[in-house]
Amino acid sequence: MRAAKSAYPLTWRIMDALEAFAAFVWPARFGRAIPWLMLAPALLLVGLLVLGLWQIGDASLRTLDTSTFLMSETYTLANYRRAFTESLFAVVAWRSLAGSLMVTAVTLILAFPYAYVMVRTSSPVIRKLLLIALFLPFFIGQVVRAYGWLIILGNQGMVNEALSLVGIAPIRLLYNYWAVLFGLVQYMLPFAVLMLAPALTAIPEELEAAAGSLGADWVRTFRHVVLPLARPGLVGAGLVVLTLSLTDFAMPAILGGGSQDFIANAIYDQFFRTSDQGLGSTLALLLVATGSLLVGLVFTLFGAGTLAMGRARQ
Amino acid sequence: MPAVLNGSSIKAKSEEAGVAVSVKAVNMVYDGVHAVRSASFDLEAGKFLTILGPSGSGKTTLLRLIAGFQRPTSGEIFINGAAVSAVPPHRRSIGMVFQKLALFPHMTAAENVAFPLKMRRNDARDIPARVERYLDMVRLGGYGARRVHELSGGQQQRVAIARALVFEPDLLLLDEPLAALDRKLREEMQLEFRRIQRELGVTTINVTHDQREALVVSDEIIVMDGGEIQQKARPAETYRSPSNAFVANFIGVTNFLDAQGGERRAIRAEKIRIVATRAGLAGTDTIVEGVVVDAIFEGERVVYEVRVASLGDALLRVFDHDPSAHSQLEAGSAVYLGWAASDVLEFKP
Ligand SMILES: Nc1ncnc2c1ncn2[C@@H]1O[C@H](COP(=O)(O)OP(=O)(O)OP(=O)(O)O)[C@@H](O)[C@H]1O
Ligand SMILES: [Mg+2]
Repeated sequence: MRAAKSAYPLTWRIMDALEAFAAFVWPARFGRAIPWLMLAPALLLVGLLVLGLWQIGDASLRTLDTSTFLMSETYTLANYRRAFTESLFAVVAWRSLAGSLMVTAVTLILAFPYAYVMVRTSSPVIRKLLLIALFLPFFIGQVVRAYGWLIILGNQGMVNEALSLVGIAPIRLLYNYWAVLFGLVQYMLPFAVLMLAPALTAIPEELEAAAGSLGADWVRTFRHVVLPLARPGLVGAGLVVLTLSLTDFAMPAILGGGSQDFIANAIYDQFFRTSDQGLGSTLALLLVATGSLLVGLVFTLFGAGTLAMGRARQ
Repeated sequence: MPAVLNGSSIKAKSEEAGVAVSVKAVNMVYDGVHAVRSASFDLEAGKFLTILGPSGSGKTTLLRLIAGFQRPTSGEIFINGAAVSAVPPHRRSIGMVFQKLALFPHMTAAENVAFPLKMRRNDARDIPARVERYLDMVRLGGYGARRVHELSGGQQQRVAIARALVFEPDLLLLDEPLAALDRKLREEMQLEFRRIQRELGVTTINVTHDQREALVVSDEIIVMDGGEIQQKARPAETYRSPSNAFVANFIGVTNFLDAQGGERRAIRAEKIRIVATRAGLAGTDTIVEGVVVDAIFEGERVVYEVRVASLGDALLRVFDHDPSAHSQLEAGSAVYLGWAASDVLEFKP
């Protein structure tokens, strides 16, 4: 008996006791609840969003009485009529949509070679430099960065100073559409590179060597091998850049100087300048709808990209 | 005399014309690592050459240099008589099967095989028939529409072979493409390689660290170690008269005996006869006494490990290839080993 007892060490017995206690507190049949429990925070968050969206939807159907500054009691589609007919909103919508598409295209074109070199370079020094250059802007917020561009591109900014040295009159570089798009591209680049890098890492280098030995020069290797295989990454990066720039606020506000409003700026004006929650809500809903439509369109045209993990392998 | 001179120069010339690949004093140094050391060899057109060597001996590097993925630090490689150092891979006519196959996952089997034809701007109308023919050749007729991941490992292997051969390259390079397969499939594919290579007569360089594969499929074997070519010879010659101790040790099971006068002597495991009584060793030149340490039954043979006191307690490995003929010797039993003097391998230090 003694021998048997000492063969069963104390630590094991403590573990047994702990396990028995755990089984008492959390019986095994509760196990099925665990996945739901883990989902709970996400469900809660989505629930809150839906609730907010519901309220915004409700507000969008009421008009502002400008004499009393109260919302109407009855539902009306007046806000939607205004949003679709007033030329100001059409201009803003078109400006943001076209702008975000251009920003997406330019950002992807610039980000692709950057990510490619970062992933494929054999020199650790170059890779580190590229990574630092990528992450550094992340620590500087969007507003501060936009302000930085004001200093560089302003009428008395560094660029114009330099131009005046060679005798060129100051050029108005700020407060126009291109300044906003420029700022957005610069802001989006790290996001795009970070989403492209893993997709490119996943393409074995040997595939490119194989394409070479099979007779493809680098252009055709790029077109027939790298690009198709990088598609999930391109779609993912494109979606992120598209939605972020479509809904951006700071760049149009600061680099556009009020003359280049995007949809988010128009919504802000309705809520905080004219205090028309109804029209603001309408614009917000329309923005959500446009964004969802675009994402849906991209999904159906190009597949779900890196977001559909299973399908991305094809 | 002039006639003889004339004859030998003609012979040299015709040999020159038959050389498909010629590697001349090639060195490859990665920052600090001397991966290939002054490698030189010629390979006749239509031959199957295997580069055999342990891990890290520079086999892949040598192959990548020939394929053109890397440039030699010094030396020159000639393909069909032309120096190719400045020629990029896509302008060399070389089909390569990679260790990890490197099939394009976004294409079907047929699209993979068609890829080199499209890249080389073959007539688009001929491509489907040609792809079909090569898929048939690797016994994958009817599998063309399958995606790569819908094929088994062995089938993917065949697609890779068809893709490397479909454009009828001057040279086929194989970088251990069979290493990942199980033994039975590997042996099947080895014979398949040999069949296809004979059928097409394409000059082939195969890399492996599987000595059996090298002996089975090759016309010639290059044994490499530490980036250096140790021996280039036909399989039987490589096995029977290894040029140095490394080759002897790497191919086959070899027992090294005491060094005599600076020369290393060795005897193959299958050249030693093992018997329980001295009488069974008639006709052998050297006879030693030993004790069986271990007897491993492997089916077609028994492998004995025998400790021999007179050879400085050396442990000799001995194959007995007819184990059913007499009862197996037990561990601990005293035995006699004998071998013929002509079977002893001798190596200069
Ligand atoms: N890109 C590289 N950079 C630096 N060193 C390398 C590189 N490629 C190979 N080496 C080194 O060169 C030597 C030869 O490598 P190689 O890949 O040719 O060996 P191998 O014979 O093919 O080995 P294995 O059988 O394991 O594939 C090794 O020491 C390896 O570490
Ligand atoms: Mg290798």
